[in-house]
Amino acid sequence: MPRQASGAMLQLEDLHVDYSQNGTVVPVLNHLSFELGKGEIVSLLGESGSGKSTIARALTGLLPPSANVGSGSMTIGSEPPVDLSGKRVPWRRIRGRQVAMLFQDAQQALNPVVKIKDHFKESLLYHRLASPNEVLDASARLLAALNFSNPLDVLERYPFQLSGGMCQRICLALALCLKPAVLVADEPTSALDTVSQKEVLDLIASKQRELGLTVLLITHDIAVANAISDRVIVLNEGVIEEEGDARRVLSKPIAAYTRQLLAARAQLSAPTRDREPSREDEPLLHIIGLEKTFSRKKRVLQAVDLTLHRQEIIGILGQSGCGKSTLAKCIAGLELPSGGRILFRGRDIGRLRGRSRREVCQRIQLVFQDARASLNPGRTALQLVQEPLRYMNIADKKERENLSAFYLNEVGIVGDLQKRRPPQLSTGQCQRIAIARALVLQPEVVICDEAVSALDMSVQAQILALLQRLHRQHGFAVVMISHDIRVLRSFCHHIAIMKEGSFCEIVRAHDLPEQSRQAYTHLLLKCAGDMEVGL
Amino acid sequence: MSTLNAKRPVGLAVGVVILGFLAIAILGASWLSPYDPLKQQVSERLQKPSVEHPLGTDRFGRDVLSRTLHGGKNTLLASISALGAALAIGLVIGLVAGMYHGSILDTLLMRLIDVLLAFPFMVLAMILAALFGTSLLHLLIAVVSVWWVSFARLTRSVVLHAKSEVSFAAARVLGASNGTIICRELLPKAISPVLIMATFELGSLILSIAALSFLGLGAQPPSPEWGSMLSDGRDHFMQAPHILLGPALFIVLTVLAFNLIGEGLRDKLDPYEKSEL
Repeated sequence: MPRQASGAMLQLEDLHVDYSQNGTVVPVLNHLSFELGKGEIVSLLGESGSGKSTIARALTGLLPPSANVGSGSMTIGSEPPVDLSGKRVPWRRIRGRQVAMLFQDAQQALNPVVKIKDHFKESLLYHRLASPNEVLDASARLLAALNFSNPLDVLERYPFQLSGGMCQRICLALALCLKPAVLVADEPTSALDTVSQKEVLDLIASKQRELGLTVLLITHDIAVANAISDRVIVLNEGVIEEEGDARRVLSKPIAAYTRQLLAARAQLSAPTRDREPSREDEPLLHIIGLEKTFSRKKRVLQAVDLTLHRQEIIGILGQSGCGKSTLAKCIAGLELPSGGRILFRGRDIGRLRGRSRREVCQRIQLVFQDARASLNPGRTALQLVQEPLRYMNIADKKERENLSAFYLNEVGIVGDLQKRRPPQLSTGQCQRIAIARALVLQPEVVICDEAVSALDMSVQAQILALLQRLHRQHGFAVVMISHDIRVLRSFCHHIAIMKEGSFCEIVRAHDLPEQSRQAYTHLLLKCAGDMEVGL
Repeated sequence: MSTLNAKRPVGLAVGVVILGFLAIAILGASWLSPYDPLKQQVSERLQKPSVEHPLGTDRFGRDVLSRTLHGGKNTLLASISALGAALAIGLVIGLVAGMYHGSILDTLLMRLIDVLLAFPFMVLAMILAALFGTSLLHLLIAVVSVWWVSFARLTRSVVLHAKSEVSFAAARVLGASNGTIICRELLPKAISPVLIMATFELGSLILSIAALSFLGLGAQPPSPEWGSMLSDGRDHFMQAPHILLGPALFIVLTVLAFNLIGEGLRDKLDPYEKSEL
């Protein structure tokens, strides 16, 4: 492939994409132009709906049929420019060898019924990069270069037998084996926990240096952009707000929008927690030696002990797969514990069934990560919040409506918004409705299972501030589950660190870095901290 | 690129129009049909289609057009009521089996379904006819007792899918009882795929009822019914093939109409067929 000594590796000019939706045309990218220099990592930073994934898809020809490319031309290296709006784009020549792509969910990007070695075989043979008897060696070498300790073992496995971080590294190896001119990574780490996120980002950065790769990193996370990129492009509603050196943009932003993004982030890290409640009186929730095993073999929780007092906020931190969500489900009654006891005000609620279980629901509520999925799309906000009251036969029709309107006002869903259904609302608004629905029963414990991690940074800050205010007003206790240490540190009184199904320590939030004696806690903190350097 | 969006539900419209004409013809049979469907006229037997008898006459000299129009009411009424009963039974059993997935109840119901699927329903219909005598009602009972199976299986699989969704977990956390969850969360999700399936099934149901009537297990002479009319015509179709034309044409049109409607409904309602964004 011809390469220029310097200058632009990828030039995108005047890209315009719109989606047609029920007859109306919604522009997503508005005559956008940018270029990537050779050997550069450029981050495309933007909130959801800004059109950043559309760029990735336009570059690889993976736009859905409802999308319409109005104009746009792409030049890769010294190749002739390609008209993206035309029908005959030579995608077979471009994909893989010129533009490679990393997807957000690597596990789904790999074919689940095919072993890893066959993934390599397919792309190496298709592009004629190896002869059939060299394939195995070549792929083992590629994996070894990406820090796999026993590549031959990994090659024999199926994607679902590997963790999300490993799958993303395999996808990276698959992309790199074709020696692409440009690597487009669409949120490659946002489905991963802090430790594997750091691992993947470090790998991308080191491979980029080694191979002189040009990388377009698409992300909503300022820390990710900060960690590895040379340049940053800030995208808002299909328009480039700001473009420049990463250090400069993230420390001295010029555009108002960039400043807003950074401010939302700072707000998230600022400690806002209230005075700690006393831990003298009887605990509200007392978990003793909780165990949970799935299908007799897989042990997810073991010997979990936790006490939660009135008005206290406890954070649970851990990597993905450590059993955080299972713990939440056990407390909320969605899973029956295999051993141990869950005492609520001294009464064991772990094994209750039927009516008595349902009465406990009034006291313990759960807010889900995916708010949109937890709401029935066919009902209006007002109807959704009335649901629990109807289920419990509380109050009459008129009163129920007043109550739910009151709580919707409390969470900032006012006026006309109350009559809308979830598909017509933003994800942040859906999460507000979900919170209102949890609070309408006036629970004493609210469990938030990654309640903010699917949201944009600015919306995260809003929802956390909302939870904070409601906590102060209504005095419920909170169990906050997250993989994001910043969220927990600013919000919680105590943080319990979970590793492989049990707590390795419980520390006060504000003396977290100093007081912790566990090596694991320090690892988590370091991974999060490294990415923040310079912000 | 916008060809996919431009796709109009032509099939649905055509299906509705055909069904509309059929409905007018069948419901208005007493006014539209030129003769009494039961009146025999020996002098005019096995006549070819003419101005007086557009579709000819059968072996007793009865007007085929009049009999076809009148017979539609029996056939359609029978198949729609059988379908309704099968649908209701299938929904209830599917919801219960799906809700209590993994319990003994679920296992028992599923094994029962396996047995019924393996059982030839023509034979079942014959057994019922042998035990209780031939009549349209017994035929319908036989059809319903086998036909609910496919609805139950579909409902169960939809329910199992819905149970893994977050909104199901949310309803349980909010304190909904099992009954409430079934009625308010699961039933609405199951109803549209099942209804779509029902329109497809109606076509084959009409064919099966016609086939059983053809075998002499359904409606008894002299009352007109499409299947038994075909059966009647069988003996004379060498001399007078036009006798078969009327009922056959109407069966084809009805099944076609329902299949087109089913396809149109699937395109409209099926959430998995919608394009993203």
